[in-house]
Amino acid sequence: MGARQPQTQGENEPDAAASAAASQPALGSSVSETRRSHLLSITDSALGYMSLEDMLSELLERIRDSLEVDTAAVLLLDEDRGVLVARAARGLEEEVRQGVQVPLARGFAGRVAAEARPIIIDLDHAEVVNPILRQKGIRSMLGVPVHVEDRVIGVMHIGTLVRRDFDEDDVTLLQLAADRAALAIDAARISEQRAVTAIMQRTLLPDALPEIPGMRFSAKYLPAGSGVKIGGDWYDVFQLADGQLAFVIGDVVGRGVLAASVMAEIRTALRAYTMQGHELTEVIAMLNELLVSMGRSRGATLSILKLDPQAEELEAVIAGHLPPLLIESGGRARFLEQRHGLPVGVRIGHDYEAFRYPFPTGSRLLLYTDGLIERRDESLDVGLERLAAAAEAAGPRDDSPLADGVYRALLDETPLEDDVALLAIESLSFEDPLEMTFSARPHVLGGLRNTVGRWLRAAGASEDELFDITLSTSEAAANAIEHAYGAREATFTLRCERDGQTVTIRVRDIGRWRTARPPGGGRGLEIMRSLLDDLEIDSDEEGTVVTMTKRLTRQA
Amino acid sequence: MSHLDIEQIDGVPVAHVKEDVDAASAAAIQQRLADALDPDALSLVVDLSDTRYVDSAGIDMLLRLGDRLDHRRAQLVLVIPETSQLKRLATIVGLPEAIAIRPSLADALREAKAQP
Repeated sequence: MGARQPQTQGENEPDAAASAAASQPALGSSVSETRRSHLLSITDSALGYMSLEDMLSELLERIRDSLEVDTAAVLLLDEDRGVLVARAARGLEEEVRQGVQVPLARGFAGRVAAEARPIIIDLDHAEVVNPILRQKGIRSMLGVPVHVEDRVIGVMHIGTLVRRDFDEDDVTLLQLAADRAALAIDAARISEQRAVTAIMQRTLLPDALPEIPGMRFSAKYLPAGSGVKIGGDWYDVFQLADGQLAFVIGDVVGRGVLAASVMAEIRTALRAYTMQGHELTEVIAMLNELLVSMGRSRGATLSILKLDPQAEELEAVIAGHLPPLLIESGGRARFLEQRHGLPVGVRIGHDYEAFRYPFPTGSRLLLYTDGLIERRDESLDVGLERLAAAAEAAGPRDDSPLADGVYRALLDETPLEDDVALLAIESLSFEDPLEMTFSARPHVLGGLRNTVGRWLRAAGASEDELFDITLSTSEAAANAIEHAYGAREATFTLRCERDGQTVTIRVRDIGRWRTARPPGGGRGLEIMRSLLDDLEIDSDEEGTVVTMTKRLTRQA
Repeated sequence: MSHLDIEQIDGVPVAHVKEDVDAASAAAIQQRLADALDPDALSLVVDLSDTRYVDSAGIDMLLRLGDRLDHRRAQLVLVIPETSQLKRLATIVGLPEAIAIRPSLADALREAKAQP
């Protein structure tokens, strides 16, 4: 082997010298004026204001001048692949251009990184992996590790075209430069990770919670610690074509970009399977098969729930996740203590079971991840009890959504030990009268029927009446949508009102009533006339108002 | 089961519709039924047992589908349980005069297989 320790040093001393230098940049009076100016050029704070690329180039240039060497280079460790990759170089620019990669523990730079200490070699006697070093005619080299805290993140090395015995001062100065570079590299990496984390979180969590009359959704997502690493917790809310609503909360094992990518796969698969109309048990079984077949080693716990707003019924499937908390309309909180399936991605062929719960007006549902309730040195039951008490105490309140109230009660004062995701669904009483505006697109019809159906149920309609009035309203809305065909961003409004036992619903659009061709070949009108007590259609220059009236057999 | 599953029962194609058939979905459902139907099929059973709403656009679609099958000397049979709200709707729009409606899948299959 051609590697030698600096002649004046024993086997372990260069490390000590280097780290002493790193922690004490002012080396004291023994340092000559020239050395001092070299030190200043390397620790110059102006370097901190440059981009990482410019900073490394400038630093290497200054090293070349100060140490009077021909080449200077920085290689950074790619931890996933276990190789050092040339990042910046002076006098060895080919190394960066050709993307030289040195395996850990092999070659000169690989050994510096693996042994985490300064190494000096004489190329006349050394085995060299990188052909560029030979081609350049480099004779002597000194390399030092670049570390952040105790981790080696790369190597900085210098070389000369004439043989040179690097001494202790050279090692100290190069290590100082490496430490300066480490600070900049680490800062750049953290800011890059933060940016990736922020983007992933924006992409992985819903842009906005749905706005549905008579419902309130609220959510919180809080990554633990500095927010540098993305957590594995997520939640999702989406509406199905028939107006039912799906809610998901889950937790992928681990953190960071890998956990986030598994989370993205799960989120997409759940949406796709659910929107295709599969039963929730099938959705989870299909997701489980998918994850197992993809060889995902990271399992996930999750709960998926579906709300049928018109039937006021909730369906839940739990895959190893903490039980959702249901706060009944009377105010009592209870956990959905149903049979849990295994976490997904663990065992193929596992069966999941769905359970149903009534969810009448005034009911509230809280989905959460373990970070919300788990505290060190405390049993899970204590955390669950605290959550139930907080949810009971937190509402229902007009001015404060449930997720906010629970968050304030449980976490405001406590530093987070784990990520927290929290999603709350509240079924509220309707305003009287109920007024809504819809985008004039066919896909709103399912949600519209569910909201009108729920409103009619609250108004005391029988099952027959609920069907008749809801379907008629849907027909009137479909007319308004057809009128608006081609108009951009067209909307229509819906107003539901009850006076004693009489229900009046008005649909107003801003288009002309096409008398020549009523939608449904006139069948829509025929249906509405048969199902309602009274139907009025008023059309003028402004648009069309359809007024539907029906007297209910019983009172609310 | 997804929103629309098509299976063969005793050689009869049966489509289970589990979503609302309305102005938003009727065209797509018709297309999927047409795609899934063997040109030689003598009948098609459309099971509406789990469907909550069918609007005028949905009724039109079912009538058109019935006509098309009729031209091919094939028969459309709907399953609408007696307890379904759709039963009242079907009567109001005169659907039973144009399309065979049976209260259960078993009855519908009997009807479909009785075809010459």
